[in-house]
Amino acid sequence: MVPLLLLSPLILLAALGAVWKARPVHAALLLALALALVAVLYLSVGAEFIGLVQFMVYVGGVAILIVFALLITRPGDEAAEVARRPRSLALGLVCVAPVLGILLYAVSKGLPVAAFEDANPKLPVQALGTELFENAVPAVLTVGVLLTAVLIGAALFAREPGPKSELPADR
Amino acid sequence: MNPLPLLLTLSSLLFALGLLAVLTRRNAILILVGIELMLNAANINFIAFWRYGSVEFDLTGPLFVMFSIAIAAAEAAVGLAIILMVFRHTRSTDLNRLDSLHG
Repeated sequence: MVPLLLLSPLILLAALGAVWKARPVHAALLLALALALVAVLYLSVGAEFIGLVQFMVYVGGVAILIVFALLITRPGDEAAEVARRPRSLALGLVCVAPVLGILLYAVSKGLPVAAFEDANPKLPVQALGTELFENAVPAVLTVGVLLTAVLIGAALFAREPGPKSELPADR
Repeated sequence: MNPLPLLLTLSSLLFALGLLAVLTRRNAILILVGIELMLNAANINFIAFWRYGSVEFDLTGPLFVMFSIAIAAAEAAVGLAIILMVFRHTRSTDLNRLDSLHG
């Protein structure tokens, strides 16, 4: 309980920074911090394997991908973004407040089922592996196909236009 | 005291922050930042219900999180590739300027 009480405000502060900061690179780095803290949260509740996966995929993959994309695209005109940020944030808060209200109301109403203090204190990695590769094989294969398609698709999208257009016309 | 309400409150606030980023950002890459925050809020819920929920010896929550992380990584890769392609055409990632489908 104590680690959760310490981690929750830190995660929220980092996420708030990722949303609040007008400068894109600061926002992306704070997102990486928030994702790393979520990984620590998983570690602290006993889901070590999920925490490590989160760390490798999100912090090591997605966050770095976002930072690289920001460096490649070099968002210009930061001053204008900084100037108009307060107004768009105020408008956004008006839209988000009802959603947050509904969510927090649902949480405060309590759960329809009994909650145990220690339903699953530890994530058994061996059982997770067995479950994945015995009962969830179709889903694993589908994700494999999806990731392959993504690999090929992203490479096709992101490549530079080929030299085809520069070939001599008489070939 | 059961920490489940604390984790659910955390994930609600995280989801709201992600939604705020999606609604207020104009840079397409920073909208992806908001989407990642919302996906993480959902993952925290899965782990919270697995850890402090009512079903013992169950692995559904962590399984869902594994698939969710894989699909989130795929989504980020395709999203950023599309943004790079659009940037090459228009020299901008500001969504307010991308109001035409003409290549």
